[in-house]
Amino acid sequence: MSNQIAILLAVLLFPGGVFALAFGLAMKGVDRRVAARLQSRVGPPLLQPFFDIIKLGFKRTMVPAAANQTVFLYTPLVGVVSMLIAAALVPITSVYAPDPAIGNLLVLLYLLMIPGIVLMIAGSASGSPYGAIGFSREMALMIAYEGPLVLIAAAVAIRTGVGMGGWATFSLNDIVAYQQAHGSFLFDPVMWPAVAAFCFFYPANLGIVPFDIPEAETEVLEGPLLEYSGPVLALFKIMSALKKVVVLSLGIALFFPAAPANIAAGFLVWLIKMAVLMLVGITAVRLSMGRMRIDQAFVFFLKWPLLLAVASLAVVVVV
Amino acid sequence: MGLIPDFKQIATRSPWIYRINAGSCNGCDVEMATTALIPRYDIERLGCQYCGSPKHADIVLISGPLTVRVKDAVLRMYEEIPDPKVTVAVGVCPISGGIFRESYAVLAPIDQYIPIDVNVPGCPPRPQAIIAGVAKAIAIWRERL
Repeated sequence: MSNQIAILLAVLLFPGGVFALAFGLAMKGVDRRVAARLQSRVGPPLLQPFFDIIKLGFKRTMVPAAANQTVFLYTPLVGVVSMLIAAALVPITSVYAPDPAIGNLLVLLYLLMIPGIVLMIAGSASGSPYGAIGFSREMALMIAYEGPLVLIAAAVAIRTGVGMGGWATFSLNDIVAYQQAHGSFLFDPVMWPAVAAFCFFYPANLGIVPFDIPEAETEVLEGPLLEYSGPVLALFKIMSALKKVVVLSLGIALFFPAAPANIAAGFLVWLIKMAVLMLVGITAVRLSMGRMRIDQAFVFFLKWPLLLAVASLAVVVVV
Repeated sequence: MGLIPDFKQIATRSPWIYRINAGSCNGCDVEMATTALIPRYDIERLGCQYCGSPKHADIVLISGPLTVRVKDAVLRMYEEIPDPKVTVAVGVCPISGGIFRESYAVLAPIDQYIPIDVNVPGCPPRPQAIIAGVAKAIAIWRERL
């Protein structure tokens, strides 16, 4: 019973729920502010994403005549809930360890697919041609990036499992504990292809500029989100904020979980890693690149990240 | 303020802007889309964001004299914007038709069809004037929330 309460608290308060939401929105605010400063603008206030969410709460929700009302209104909820659960699965070194019953890499892989699927369903349920274009692009992009992700996860699992004397372990706690004992995978040459592939994967998963093709504002007018307004649109914003925390935190847990054993120091180190990942991996990339076309992105993913992921899996299995 | 934050006050710090080109010559659009966003003026510091979809918008910037051909599309687009919303007419064309005023293809003034809250005259208006218009629109929007 206390187990279930602990899981519930993890989903609703920390590291999921309230904390992940606030942290995700704050990261978005810092991202926009830093982006503005890099372009020598003043930029919005740091709390801007919070203002946006509150504002959307005051707006009316409109459902297009062509849309399927139930699906249109309730799919974003599925996305938000899946991301709340996902946030409770990712360990933070020496601060939070998920319950062994749920802290599984495979579960996390499935949960990470849900926001993309939600976007696809939302786009096609909205009955808008732009939504349909967004749907097909999202699907192509997902096919392109899910493969490398699965291979990266397999490489990490096998590396950890073999290191621990078994075959493969998908427990996130074990993955973090193994790296705490034997050094992070980031400094392990065998894992470098996987690290590189992950660096290509997460901008696509988070929909950041070179790969924000499904929601391209200037081409398909934010695609699946085109017909959404008011509180339901806010749910999508919340979903993407949570997803950002989950994916970046997963990257840290998989490749660089090293942190001091002290809770406060461990949390501080985690915060610093998240900030660096976000500023280098999201803000800088987003500002310095243009958007790819969907065919370019598809070919790119089937070429480099997939190759790297296959290479990493092969190297891990052989070594 | 008190213990509970004033959510309406907070909400007005996030006006999202949508541009409708009602047959404009593109002069005002250039001023709205690019000049207001460049470092010198930076409309984003007011919390503004240009959005791609009318359904996300709070403040509508309309430019152009409303030509006969785009009238229906503009009215439809205007109705797609969820309430509460504020309309800003940018340039002299929505007010009087500007240099197109004697044309048979032009339906200006635009407020015969759409309620206009703020007028920003000019051909094209200076970016400072557009930002002042947006700031005025935010004040009106606060009362409507």
